[in-house]
Amino acid sequence: MNELRLGPILIRNRFLISIYNFVENRLGIKEILDLEVFYKLAPSYLGIFSCFGGITFFMFTLQVVTGILLLVYYVPTTAQAYDSVVHITNNVPFGWLIRGIHHWGANIMIITVFIHMGKIYFHGIYKNPRELNWVTGIVLLICTLSFSFTGYLLPWTQLSYWATVVGTEIPSAMPVIGDYIKIFLRGGADVSQITLTRFFAVHIMVLPAAVIMFIVLHIIMIRRQGISGPL
Amino acid sequence: MSDEIIKEEVSGKDRRSFLNLSIFISFAVAIGGALYPVIKYLLPADSTKGTEGGETFFISADEIPVGSAKLVRYKNRPTIIIRTKENEVYALSAVCTHLGCIVKWHEDAKELLCPCHAARFDLYGNVLGGPAPKPLPAYKAAVEEDRILIREA
Ligand code: FES
Repeated sequence: MNELRLGPILIRNRFLISIYNFVENRLGIKEILDLEVFYKLAPSYLGIFSCFGGITFFMFTLQVVTGILLLVYYVPTTAQAYDSVVHITNNVPFGWLIRGIHHWGANIMIITVFIHMGKIYFHGIYKNPRELNWVTGIVLLICTLSFSFTGYLLPWTQLSYWATVVGTEIPSAMPVIGDYIKIFLRGGADVSQITLTRFFAVHIMVLPAAVIMFIVLHIIMIRRQGISGPL
Repeated sequence: MSDEIIKEEVSGKDRRSFLNLSIFISFAVAIGGALYPVIKYLLPADSTKGTEGGETFFISADEIPVGSAKLVRYKNRPTIIIRTKENEVYALSAVCTHLGCIVKWHEDAKELLCPCHAARFDLYGNVLGGPAPKPLPAYKAAVEEDRILIREA
Protein backbone atom coordinates (compact mmCIF):
# COMPACT_ATOMS: atom_id res chain seq x y z
CA MET A 1 0.00 0.00 0.00
CA ASN A 2 1.65 3.24 -1.02
CA GLU A 3 -1.36 5.51 -0.72
CA LEU A 4 -3.61 6.07 2.26
CA ARG A 5 -6.96 7.78 2.02
CA LEU A 6 -8.55 9.07 5.21
CA GLY A 7 -11.69 10.98 4.29
CA PRO A 8 -10.56 13.87 2.07
CA ILE A 9 -6.91 13.44 3.06
CA LEU A 10 -4.55 11.53 0.80
CA ILE A 11 -1.28 10.46 2.41
CA ARG A 12 1.61 9.39 0.17
CA ASN A 13 4.52 9.64 2.60
CA ARG A 14 5.71 6.09 3.20
CA PHE A 15 6.97 6.85 6.69
CA LEU A 16 3.59 8.23 7.79
CA ILE A 17 1.83 5.25 6.22
CA SER A 18 4.04 2.79 8.07
CA ILE A 19 3.31 4.58 11.38
CA TYR A 20 -0.38 4.44 10.53
CA ASN A 21 -0.16 0.72 9.73
CA PHE A 22 1.66 0.01 12.96
CA VAL A 23 -1.11 1.62 15.03
CA GLU A 24 -3.91 0.32 12.82
CA ASN A 25 -2.73 -3.29 13.11
CA ARG A 26 -2.74 -3.05 16.87
CA LEU A 27 -5.63 -0.76 17.73
CA GLY A 28 -7.85 -0.68 14.66
CA ILE A 29 -8.10 3.10 14.46
CA LYS A 30 -9.60 3.12 10.97
CA GLU A 31 -13.07 2.72 12.38
CA ILE A 32 -12.62 5.86 14.50
CA LEU A 33 -10.77 7.92 11.89
CA ASP A 34 -13.48 7.18 9.34
CA LEU A 35 -16.13 8.78 11.55
CA GLU A 36 -17.85 11.57 9.74
CA VAL A 37 -17.09 14.16 12.44
CA PHE A 38 -13.46 14.33 11.35
CA TYR A 39 -14.24 15.25 7.75
CA LYS A 40 -16.76 18.04 7.87
CA LEU A 41 -15.47 20.76 5.61
CA ALA A 42 -16.07 24.38 6.51
CA PRO A 43 -19.01 25.74 4.47
CA SER A 44 -18.11 28.41 1.92
CA TYR A 45 -20.44 31.05 3.35
CA LEU A 46 -18.33 31.42 6.50
CA GLY A 47 -16.58 34.76 6.90
CA ILE A 48 -13.92 36.24 9.10
CA PHE A 49 -16.15 36.42 12.18
CA SER A 50 -16.65 32.67 12.12
CA CYS A 51 -12.95 32.31 12.84
CA PHE A 52 -12.92 33.85 16.29
CA GLY A 53 -13.81 30.67 18.16
CA GLY A 54 -10.80 29.00 16.62
CA ILE A 55 -8.63 32.05 17.22
CA THR A 56 -9.67 31.99 20.87
CA PHE A 57 -8.72 28.34 21.06
CA PHE A 58 -5.34 29.17 19.55
CA MET A 59 -4.88 31.96 22.11
CA PHE A 60 -5.70 29.49 24.87
CA THR A 61 -3.05 27.00 23.73
CA LEU A 62 -0.57 29.87 23.55
CA GLN A 63 -1.47 30.81 27.14
CA VAL A 64 -0.97 27.21 28.26
CA VAL A 65 2.48 26.99 26.67
CA THR A 66 3.73 30.38 27.88
CA GLY A 67 2.09 29.78 31.27
CA ILE A 68 4.01 26.54 31.76
CA LEU A 69 7.20 28.33 30.81
CA LEU A 70 6.54 31.14 33.31
CA LEU A 71 5.86 28.54 35.96
CA VAL A 72 9.46 27.40 35.64
CA TYR A 73 10.73 30.64 37.22
CA TYR A 74 7.75 32.10 39.07
CA VAL A 75 7.71 31.82 42.87
CA PRO A 76 4.21 32.08 44.40
CA THR A 77 5.11 33.71 47.71
CA THR A 78 4.37 37.27 48.77
CA ALA A 79 8.08 37.79 49.48
CA GLN A 80 9.32 36.59 46.12
CA ALA A 81 6.49 36.76 43.59
CA TYR A 82 7.29 40.28 42.42
CA ASP A 83 11.06 39.69 42.38
CA SER A 84 10.66 36.49 40.40
CA VAL A 85 8.49 38.26 37.83
CA VAL A 86 11.09 41.03 37.54
CA HIS A 87 13.78 38.37 37.23
CA ILE A 88 11.86 36.66 34.41
CA THR A 89 11.36 39.95 32.60
CA ASN A 90 14.88 41.34 32.97
CA ASN A 91 17.35 38.50 33.48
CA VAL A 92 16.07 35.29 31.95
CA PRO A 93 16.85 35.10 28.22
CA PHE A 94 13.65 35.78 26.27
CA GLY A 95 11.76 36.03 29.57
CA TRP A 96 10.40 39.39 28.42
CA LEU A 97 9.05 37.64 25.33
CA ILE A 98 7.40 34.75 27.16
CA ARG A 99 5.87 37.03 29.76
CA GLY A 100 4.85 39.54 27.10
CA ILE A 101 3.07 36.86 25.10
CA HIS A 102 1.30 35.63 28.23
CA HIS A 103 0.29 39.15 29.24
CA TRP A 104 -0.83 40.42 25.85
CA GLY A 105 -2.22 37.04 24.84
CA ALA A 106 -4.51 37.20 27.87
CA ASN A 107 -5.80 40.60 26.79
CA ILE A 108 -6.24 39.54 23.18
CA MET A 109 -8.03 36.38 24.28
CA ILE A 110 -10.65 38.44 26.11
CA ILE A 111 -11.22 40.47 22.93
CA THR A 112 -11.51 37.40 20.70
CA VAL A 113 -13.87 35.73 23.18
CA PHE A 114 -16.22 38.70 23.02
CA ILE A 115 -16.07 38.94 19.23
CA HIS A 116 -16.86 35.21 19.03
CA MET A 117 -19.72 35.63 21.47
CA GLY A 118 -21.07 38.68 19.65
CA LYS A 119 -21.15 36.77 16.40
CA ILE A 120 -23.01 33.86 17.99
CA TYR A 121 -25.40 36.22 19.72
CA PHE A 122 -26.24 38.59 16.87
CA HIS A 123 -26.63 35.80 14.35
CA GLY A 124 -28.94 33.95 16.72
CA ILE A 125 -26.76 30.85 16.52
CA TYR A 126 -27.36 30.07 20.20
CA LYS A 127 -30.99 29.15 19.45
CA ASN A 128 -32.45 25.68 19.24
CA PRO A 129 -30.76 23.20 18.74
CA ARG A 130 -27.56 24.84 19.99
CA GLU A 131 -28.64 26.02 23.46
CA LEU A 132 -26.39 23.51 25.22
CA ASN A 133 -23.39 24.74 23.33
CA TRP A 134 -24.23 28.29 24.37
CA VAL A 135 -24.26 27.10 27.97
CA THR A 136 -20.81 25.51 27.70
CA GLY A 137 -19.70 28.73 26.02
CA ILE A 138 -20.88 30.75 29.01
CA VAL A 139 -19.01 28.41 31.35
CA LEU A 140 -15.91 29.01 29.23
CA LEU A 141 -16.51 32.77 29.41
CA ILE A 142 -16.70 32.65 33.19
CA CYS A 143 -13.53 30.54 33.31
CA THR A 144 -11.72 32.99 31.02
CA LEU A 145 -12.68 35.96 33.18
CA SER A 146 -11.64 34.02 36.30
CA PHE A 147 -8.31 33.36 34.62
CA SER A 148 -7.87 37.09 34.18
CA PHE A 149 -8.88 37.87 37.74
CA THR A 150 -6.65 35.24 39.37
CA GLY A 151 -3.73 35.85 37.03
CA TYR A 152 -3.82 39.57 37.76
CA LEU A 153 -2.85 38.98 41.40
CA LEU A 154 0.12 36.73 40.72
CA PRO A 155 2.83 39.39 40.06
CA TRP A 156 1.95 40.79 43.53
CA THR A 157 2.29 44.45 42.56
CA GLN A 158 0.42 47.36 44.13
CA LEU A 159 -1.93 47.30 41.17
CA SER A 160 -2.67 43.60 41.44
CA TYR A 161 -2.96 43.68 45.23
CA TRP A 162 -5.52 46.48 45.32
CA ALA A 163 -7.40 45.14 42.33
CA THR A 164 -7.83 41.90 44.24
CA VAL A 165 -8.85 43.73 47.41
CA VAL A 166 -11.53 45.57 45.44
CA GLY A 167 -12.55 42.54 43.39
CA THR A 168 -13.00 40.27 46.38
CA GLU A 169 -14.82 43.06 48.23
CA ILE A 170 -17.57 43.15 45.58
CA PRO A 171 -19.39 39.95 46.60
CA SER A 172 -19.54 41.20 50.19
CA ALA A 173 -22.24 43.63 49.07
CA MET A 174 -24.59 40.66 48.84
CA PRO A 175 -26.82 40.34 51.87
CA VAL A 176 -26.28 37.50 54.35
CA ILE A 177 -23.82 35.34 52.35
CA GLY A 178 -21.69 38.19 50.96
CA ASP A 179 -19.10 38.25 53.72
CA TYR A 180 -18.71 34.49 53.68
CA ILE A 181 -18.00 34.55 49.94
CA LYS A 182 -15.41 37.27 50.45
CA ILE A 183 -13.65 35.32 53.19
CA PHE A 184 -13.84 32.16 51.09
CA LEU A 185 -12.23 33.90 48.11
CA ARG A 186 -9.50 35.48 50.23
CA GLY A 187 -8.92 32.55 52.54
CA GLY A 188 -9.14 34.97 55.47
CA ALA A 189 -10.20 38.47 56.33
CA ASP A 190 -7.49 40.12 54.21
CA VAL A 191 -5.70 39.56 50.93
CA SER A 192 -2.58 37.72 52.08
CA GLN A 193 -0.23 34.88 51.25
CA ILE A 194 -3.19 32.51 51.54
CA THR A 195 -5.04 34.49 48.87
CA LEU A 196 -2.01 34.40 46.60
CA THR A 197 -1.63 30.65 47.07
CA ARG A 198 -5.25 29.84 46.30
CA PHE A 199 -5.40 32.20 43.33
CA PHE A 200 -2.24 30.55 42.06
CA ALA A 201 -3.73 27.07 42.49
CA VAL A 202 -6.94 28.10 40.74
CA HIS A 203 -5.04 29.85 37.95
CA ILE A 204 -2.69 26.99 37.08
CA MET A 205 -4.69 23.86 37.95
CA VAL A 206 -8.43 24.29 38.45
CA LEU A 207 -9.22 26.63 35.57
CA PRO A 208 -7.03 24.96 32.93
CA ALA A 209 -8.59 21.58 33.73
CA ALA A 210 -12.11 23.03 33.58
CA VAL A 211 -11.45 24.95 30.37
CA ILE A 212 -9.93 21.96 28.58
CA MET A 213 -12.93 19.82 29.56
CA PHE A 214 -15.45 22.36 28.35
CA ILE A 215 -13.55 23.11 25.14
CA VAL A 216 -13.73 19.41 24.31
CA LEU A 217 -17.50 19.42 24.95
CA HIS A 218 -17.89 22.66 22.98
CA ILE A 219 -16.08 21.25 19.94
CA ILE A 220 -17.78 17.84 20.07
CA MET A 221 -21.14 19.60 20.01
CA ILE A 222 -20.13 21.78 17.06
CA ARG A 223 -18.95 18.70 15.19
CA ARG A 224 -22.11 16.81 16.02
CA GLN A 225 -24.48 19.61 15.01
CA GLY A 226 -22.53 21.14 12.17
CA ILE A 227 -21.93 24.83 11.56
CA SER A 228 -25.19 26.77 11.48
CA GLY A 229 -26.47 28.05 8.13
CA PRO A 230 -26.15 31.63 6.88
CA LEU A 231 -28.57 34.33 8.05
CA MET B 1 12.95 28.33 -18.85
CA SER B 2 12.33 29.00 -15.21
CA ASP B 3 10.83 25.54 -14.90
CA GLU B 4 14.08 24.05 -16.01
CA ILE B 5 16.06 25.95 -13.43
CA ILE B 6 13.75 24.72 -10.70
CA LYS B 7 14.03 21.18 -12.02
CA GLU B 8 17.79 21.29 -11.86
CA GLU B 9 17.85 22.80 -8.39
CA VAL B 10 15.81 20.04 -6.83
CA SER B 11 17.94 17.27 -8.20
CA GLY B 12 15.91 16.34 -11.22
CA LYS B 13 12.53 16.10 -9.52
CA ASP B 14 9.33 17.84 -10.47
CA ARG B 15 7.51 20.95 -9.34
CA ARG B 16 5.63 19.04 -6.65
CA SER B 17 8.71 17.97 -4.79
CA PHE B 18 10.10 21.48 -5.02
CA LEU B 19 6.94 22.88 -3.46
CA ASN B 20 6.93 20.15 -0.84
CA LEU B 21 10.50 21.02 0.02
CA SER B 22 9.60 24.71 0.29
CA ILE B 23 6.73 23.92 2.62
CA PHE B 24 8.96 21.69 4.69
CA ILE B 25 11.63 24.38 4.94
CA SER B 26 9.13 27.08 5.91
CA PHE B 27 7.72 24.85 8.62
CA ALA B 28 11.19 23.99 9.87
CA VAL B 29 12.11 27.70 10.02
CA ALA B 30 8.88 28.58 11.81
CA ILE B 31 9.21 25.79 14.37
CA GLY B 32 12.90 26.48 14.88
CA GLY B 33 12.16 30.17 15.35
CA ALA B 34 9.59 29.35 18.01
CA LEU B 35 11.76 26.78 19.78
CA TYR B 36 14.93 28.88 19.90
CA PRO B 37 13.64 31.41 22.48
CA VAL B 38 12.04 28.61 24.50
CA ILE B 39 15.31 26.69 24.76
CA LYS B 40 17.24 29.85 25.58
CA TYR B 41 14.63 30.65 28.20
CA LEU B 42 14.96 27.27 29.86
CA LEU B 43 18.78 27.41 29.83
CA PRO B 44 19.64 30.81 31.34
CA ALA B 45 23.17 31.61 30.24
CA ASP B 46 24.45 33.38 33.35
CA SER B 47 23.86 30.64 35.91
CA THR B 48 25.96 27.98 34.22
CA LYS B 49 29.21 29.94 34.50
CA GLY B 50 31.00 29.74 37.82
CA THR B 51 33.92 31.70 39.15
CA GLU B 52 37.26 30.24 38.09
CA GLY B 53 39.94 28.80 40.35
CA GLY B 54 42.95 30.58 41.78
CA GLU B 55 41.04 33.58 42.98
CA THR B 56 40.44 34.85 46.46
CA PHE B 57 37.11 35.12 48.12
CA PHE B 58 36.31 37.25 51.12
CA ILE B 59 33.46 37.70 53.48
CA SER B 60 32.97 40.18 56.30
CA ALA B 61 34.23 38.72 59.58
CA ASP B 62 31.02 39.73 61.39
CA GLU B 63 29.10 37.20 59.34
CA ILE B 64 30.82 34.26 61.03
CA PRO B 65 30.97 34.67 64.82
CA VAL B 66 33.56 32.64 66.73
CA GLY B 67 32.40 29.04 67.15
CA SER B 68 30.19 28.98 64.10
CA ALA B 69 30.41 28.02 60.45
CA LYS B 70 28.97 29.36 57.25
CA LEU B 71 28.29 27.88 53.85
CA VAL B 72 29.45 30.02 50.92
CA ARG B 73 30.08 29.53 47.22
CA TYR B 74 33.75 29.54 46.31
CA LYS B 75 34.88 28.49 42.84
CA ASN B 76 31.18 27.88 42.25
CA ARG B 77 31.20 25.00 44.74
CA PRO B 78 29.62 24.84 48.19
CA THR B 79 32.37 25.71 50.64
CA ILE B 80 32.21 25.77 54.41
CA ILE B 81 34.09 28.35 56.48
CA ILE B 82 34.56 27.49 60.16
CA ARG B 83 35.74 30.03 62.70
CA THR B 84 37.07 28.32 65.82
CA LYS B 85 38.84 31.27 67.49
CA GLU B 86 38.99 35.01 66.95
CA ASN B 87 41.88 34.61 64.50
CA GLU B 88 41.52 31.00 63.47
CA VAL B 89 39.45 30.08 60.44
CA TYR B 90 39.26 27.01 58.23
CA ALA B 91 37.80 26.64 54.76
CA LEU B 92 36.91 23.32 53.16
CA SER B 93 34.89 22.09 50.28
CA ALA B 94 31.51 21.21 51.78
CA VAL B 95 30.77 18.49 49.24
CA CYS B 96 31.07 15.10 50.92
CA THR B 97 33.51 12.85 49.03
CA HIS B 98 31.15 9.92 49.44
CA LEU B 99 28.03 10.81 47.44
CA GLY B 100 28.05 14.57 47.40
CA CYS B 101 25.86 15.69 50.29
CA ILE B 102 26.68 18.97 52.04
CA VAL B 103 28.58 18.42 55.28
CA LYS B 104 27.71 20.30 58.47
CA TRP B 105 29.88 21.66 61.24
CA HIS B 106 29.18 20.27 64.72
CA GLU B 107 30.60 22.68 67.24
CA ASP B 108 30.38 20.37 70.29
CA ALA B 109 32.13 17.42 68.58
CA LYS B 110 34.48 19.79 66.72
CA GLU B 111 34.06 17.87 63.53
CA LEU B 112 32.22 17.96 60.23
CA LEU B 113 29.44 15.45 59.89
CA CYS B 114 27.74 14.41 56.70
CA PRO B 115 23.97 14.13 57.25
CA CYS B 116 23.52 11.49 54.55
CA HIS B 117 25.56 8.49 55.70
CA ALA B 118 27.41 9.93 58.67
CA ALA B 119 30.90 10.42 57.26
CA ARG B 120 33.02 12.46 59.71
CA PHE B 121 35.84 14.86 58.89
CA ASP B 122 38.18 16.97 60.97
CA LEU B 123 38.99 20.66 60.45
CA TYR B 124 41.64 19.83 57.85
CA GLY B 125 39.29 17.66 55.84
CA ASN B 126 40.74 14.29 56.98
CA VAL B 127 38.28 11.43 57.18
CA LEU B 128 37.61 10.40 60.80
CA GLY B 129 35.01 7.78 60.06
CA GLY B 130 32.14 6.72 57.86
CA PRO B 131 32.06 5.78 54.20
CA ALA B 132 33.91 8.79 52.72
CA PRO B 133 36.80 7.52 50.56
CA LYS B 134 38.83 10.73 50.36
CA PRO B 135 39.47 13.81 52.51
CA LEU B 136 37.65 17.05 51.78
CA PRO B 137 39.71 19.52 49.72
CA ALA B 138 40.91 22.28 52.06
CA TYR B 139 41.64 25.91 51.21
CA LYS B 140 43.81 28.56 52.86
CA ALA B 141 41.76 30.77 55.11
CA ALA B 142 42.81 33.74 57.20
CA VAL B 143 41.29 36.60 59.17
CA GLU B 144 42.61 39.93 57.91
CA GLU B 145 41.33 42.98 59.71
CA ASP B 146 37.56 42.68 59.48
CA ARG B 147 37.48 40.22 56.63
CA ILE B 148 37.91 36.51 56.23
CA LEU B 149 39.84 35.56 53.11
CA ILE B 150 39.95 32.27 51.31
CA ARG B 151 42.40 31.29 48.62
CA GLU B 152 43.61 28.15 46.93
CA ALA B 153 45.83 26.00 49.16
S1 FES C 1 27.26 11.41 51.05
FE1 FES C 1 28.32 11.95 52.81
S2 FES C 1 28.38 10.09 53.86
FE2 FES C 1 27.37 9.47 52.06
